[in-house]
Order: sequence, then structure tokens, then C-alpha cells
Amino acid sequence: MNKIIVLLFLLTNFADFDVKSDQFITRQGQVSFFSYTSVENIEAKNNQVLSIIDLSKNEIAVSMLMNAFIFKKSLMHEHFNESYIESDLYPKATFEGRIVDFDPLATGAQTKMIQGALTIHGITKEIEIKTTIQDMNGSYLLTGDFEVAVKDFDIKIPPILAPNIAKIISITFRFEYRPYEK
Amino acid sequence: MNTKNKIVLLLSILLLVAGLYMYYGIYNRSYKNIETISAEVKISSTELVSSFMMNEKFANSIYRGKIIEVDGVLKEVTFLNNRNTVLLYSDNKYSSVLCDMQANQIEEVKKLKKGQKVKIKGVCKGFLKDAILLHCMLTNTQIDE
Repeated sequence: MNKIIVLLFLLTNFADFDVKSDQFITRQGQVSFFSYTSVENIEAKNNQVLSIIDLSKNEIAVSMLMNAFIFKKSLMHEHFNESYIESDLYPKATFEGRIVDFDPLATGAQTKMIQGALTIHGITKEIEIKTTIQDMNGSYLLTGDFEVAVKDFDIKIPPILAPNIAKIISITFRFEYRPYEK
Repeated sequence: MNTKNKIVLLLSILLLVAGLYMYYGIYNRSYKNIETISAEVKISSTELVSSFMMNEKFANSIYRGKIIEVDGVLKEVTFLNNRNTVLLYSDNKYSSVLCDMQANQIEEVKKLKKGQKVKIKGVCKGFLKDAILLHCMLTNTQIDE
């Protein structure tokens, strides 16, 4: 009986030391998107993107508020939220995926594919994203870029504004993680 | 062309010019300066976070898109990605109020210390793991108790 108590004591007290945290978080990830046309260039940035990676399962989750994208002009912000993204109805964009063949022992930078589901405007699409993962003393920096088609996410753009907005939007991201203390 | 027609023509041109001018004014407008607008809601950082955690949809209906003033205890200041960000404590260990400060606040933000009481005004955007406020400014730095 005593042995069991000792064992339990040891387990509960030292379990924390054995399990190194495999989860990393950023609350201030950066996501930018660009729309280049001959009429005008539109650029917006969100600096409050939440992301958690779990390296024991190679999983990544991302969530962002659509109304937290900052544009050069506030009218673009209004159009984006009210007409295109409808952020009252769909306040968040999310991504859930898996880092393929992540090597936890590699030092420096490694380029990997992330496969997962991107949800924007209530529509979910399977996508693949190339990312560079940099090990920074037990923390990680993920960067990369990819493209999405406006029509894939059922975003309606009035014909009069069609020349102003690119059919393909390029997106860049920069997530600087830190260990997620449990 | 008689005089009446000339006047009508002149007036309509004037109206058109004025309309275009106003359109471009609105089109090029940047974000509202919240400095001159008073907060619609005043709340503590702990209350704000717990109201989002209890019922996000309901909290969104009250706070989202509004200018609010939050008072709380400073948890952390970060300068990641060239932003000045102030985080305020809540009752929950993993959540806070995340305030993205306006560029003109940098000198004041640099002086802040962890554990200090602050009041911050900003536009509430919603909740992820933290309540998010943008275009923020400190409102009580002068009145130190």
C-alpha cells in the first residue's frame, strides 16, 4: 500500500518534468493578403492571428478575426467586412492541418508541406501550403505564402468593382511561436 | 442656349464636381481617430474576458465593433512584428485582453511596467483566445494614483 502511495507521489510530482511541452502558441501571428490589379493594389494585414502547433502530433490550428485586418483606407475595410467577407455572419477564418514529415530533431530551417482545411466566409477547402519552419532555441518560426481564388469561397464582388479586385489573392504569414505552458 | 439653361448646366457641373470631391474624400479616408471619440462601454479586463468566455456570441453583440475602455493590470508588453502590443490580465491563466496600440503611443507604452494598473481605449474586434482591441490608446497615464 505504501509503495503505491510512493509511486503515485512520484508519478504526480515528476510527471511534469518528463513531459516536455510539445505545444507552441502565438497570439500575435501575422497574416497579410494582397490583391494586385492594373486598377489598384489592395493590401491588408492582421497582426493578431492565433495559432497553436502540437509537435507530438504534427498538428497546426490557426484562427483569425476577419475584422482585424487593417487596410490603407477605411472604406476598403468596410467593403471587405460588410460586402465580401460578411464578417458579422462569418467573423473568423480558420485553418486546421497537419505538417507532413516534420523532423523535430532537425536544426535550423526546414521546408515542409502543410495539408489541411481552410475555412473562409463559411466555406471550407482542402489546401496545401509550403512553409519554412525555423527552430529558434526551443521555439519555432513558421513563414510562407500561398494563393487562394476568390470564387472558391463564394465571395461575391459586384461587376462594377470586379476590375479592382484580383481573382487570385496572395497570402503571406509569419507565426512566431513560444512554448505553451500548461 | 438661354440664360436659364446655362445656369442649370453650371449648377449641375458644380454639383458633379462637389460629388466627386466628396466621394474621393470618403474613398481616401483613413481609420477614425478614436482620440476624439468617447468610449461607449467601460469595463474591467477580467469582466471583458469572462463575458466572452461565458457566451462569445452574446459578448460579441455587446462589444464587437464598439469603442470600449478597459481597465486592468498589465501582464506583458510586446513589440513583435513592429507593433506595440499591451496584454492585460484576466481571471483565466491562458486568456487576456490584447491591445494593439496606435503608433503615437509608443513612448508611453515603453514606460509601462508589469503589474501596473492601466486604462486603455480601443475598438473591440472580438475574441480568439484573447479579447482583441485595435487602434488602442492609454487614457490614464497622467493620473497615477
